[in-house]
Amino acid sequence: MNRVCTLVLLLLVTPTAAAYGQESAADIIDRVDRIMRGESSRGTATMEVVTEHWERSMTMEIWSLGTDYSLIRITAPKSEEGTATLKADEDIWNYLPRVDRTIKIPASMMMGAWMGSHFTNDDLVKESRLVEDYDIVISYEGDRDGVEMWEFELTPKPEAPVVWGRIEYQVRKNDLMPTWARYYDEDGELVRTMTFGDFREMGGRLVPAAMDMLPEDKPGERTSVRYIEVEFDLDIDESYFSLRALRSGR
Amino acid sequence: MAGLAFGYLAVVLLVGWMEGLTAEMIESATRTLSGQLQVHDLDYRPERKIYDTIGGRDGTDVDALVQKVASDPAVEAAAPRVFAGGLVSSGEATVAGLLVGIDPEREPRVSAILRAVVEGRPPTVGTHDIVIGIEMARQLTVGIGDEIILVVPAADGSMGNDLYTVAGIFSSGLAELDASYAMLPIGTLQALVALEPNRVHEIAASVSDPWLAPEAADRIAARLAATELGIEIEPWTRLRPEMMDYAQLAQAWNGIIIFIVFAIAIFGVANTMLMATYERRREFAVMLALGTSPFAIVRSVLIEALSLGAISLVLGAVITFPLMLWFYNSPPDLSFFYGDYTFFGALIRPRLRVELNPQMWMWTAVALLITAVLAALYPAARAARVPPADTLSGL
Repeated sequence: MNRVCTLVLLLLVTPTAAAYGQESAADIIDRVDRIMRGESSRGTATMEVVTEHWERSMTMEIWSLGTDYSLIRITAPKSEEGTATLKADEDIWNYLPRVDRTIKIPASMMMGAWMGSHFTNDDLVKESRLVEDYDIVISYEGDRDGVEMWEFELTPKPEAPVVWGRIEYQVRKNDLMPTWARYYDEDGELVRTMTFGDFREMGGRLVPAAMDMLPEDKPGERTSVRYIEVEFDLDIDESYFSLRALRSGR
Repeated sequence: MAGLAFGYLAVVLLVGWMEGLTAEMIESATRTLSGQLQVHDLDYRPERKIYDTIGGRDGTDVDALVQKVASDPAVEAAAPRVFAGGLVSSGEATVAGLLVGIDPEREPRVSAILRAVVEGRPPTVGTHDIVIGIEMARQLTVGIGDEIILVVPAADGSMGNDLYTVAGIFSSGLAELDASYAMLPIGTLQALVALEPNRVHEIAASVSDPWLAPEAADRIAARLAATELGIEIEPWTRLRPEMMDYAQLAQAWNGIIIFIVFAIAIFGVANTMLMATYERRREFAVMLALGTSPFAIVRSVLIEALSLGAISLVLGAVITFPLMLWFYNSPPDLSFFYGDYTFFGALIRPRLRVELNPQMWMWTAVALLITAVLAALYPAARAARVPPADTLSGL
């Protein structure tokens, strides 16, 4: 009995440990994704948007459940307080407290900016679907400035409903922390770069607390997201991500 | 003779019809919304960013600028506009819309869009009235008096959002306009997108004759150069180069029509005159035998051709002019044959519309006369060289 237990334990443990070096590129990306999201999460973050014409900053609370649900509610500044975005599967709804109405973002506006930032509505929908929508290969493995890195190249699968021609993604080998992602259009031109930084322990996990989105065609513009705190694996269910919840502002 | 008369009819009618089609297209494209002349900030086109208002960030004295544009002799009226893109939502349905802030008082003199309101009424200044296209109304399933939500990225980076009431529904016949355009009072839209009242994106103007727009634009540009606003004044010919190209193509077609008709006329006249001179070769032989100079015979044949041409043209004109006037005043309705169609984003009605162009009529007449005389040259030369003795002896 004891031997059986040991065997089972070995079988359970070894694949993860032994396959660490050989697991497919898609598996690694999937793992990176899981670390950063957990089964469910709740966090507070600030978002600073800098454009040629204006700068603004807001604070928001972010909930997520699996890959299908997330809810973002703006808590500051006062003028935007209560504005919320719900993502459920492929759909996005915005709640507008000023008029007390909920509107669904039509498919044609998915590439529109989310809350005036350099993120698009599409980013909210697609960020968790990299593994499903892209063929992923390791394009580089080794030393970058003294740190062991993986670099992945993601090319869209045929028929995948994506807007990018290619994504490059760099991940630190030792702790699976992403360092940057570069988004290219169909002509192979770099469109935007997302950088990750300020890696620190939050909610019991190592996560990048800082994310910056830099559009290539607008030098000097950026959207910076800074996590203030995050907790993982909370006791929330799907009912939390309903339209009623979006409106109620709980 | 009938050949020349009908040739004249064909040229005048076909060219008139082609010009009518071009005019219809230009009028539809420029009168529906855009106007024949537009004033923008230099940076506004082609990206049409919300920040690039006339006069830049500080804006400008809009009323004074509208006055200046409207004071040009060729300009009928001018009106300011603000544009923004955003979401238009009602209940479950949301569509992307292009919002146009208009001055309900001045706009009807510049464009036909407010006259295209088929249900309800145009928006009233200072209210949350909105007028949407008929297709948008269908997609949102809203009617007059219903509530609509607009969500628009504002110029200060915030998300402008508010409730509006459907005051009217327009039907321009242009699919794009009817599906995605919405009109609000200009001040209401400025408030939504956080633009001060002195910031507008466009001043649109209507010009009495679309073809005068380029000159008017240059005149206004010269007059406003001193204000150093950094603006561009563009006529439709430069805003819609594809339509200009089409107008030029239509003119080239006119050239081809004229060429064909003239070729037919030349052969027709030459044939008639050859026959006539052949039949009268004995007459010419007698004249020559009696001492008439060959030059006099050439002259008489040419004068004959000229008279023939003149009579034909009078006949042609008698048939053509009433027909043209009739077509011009009440264009035959061909809707039983084909419906409305759009062409280069312009709505063409199913009518056989003609343009009156008396200058073209005159030149066509002169050209046909010259053609008739030219075509008679060869028969005249033949007549002058009739050998008198052989001809009279019956050979």
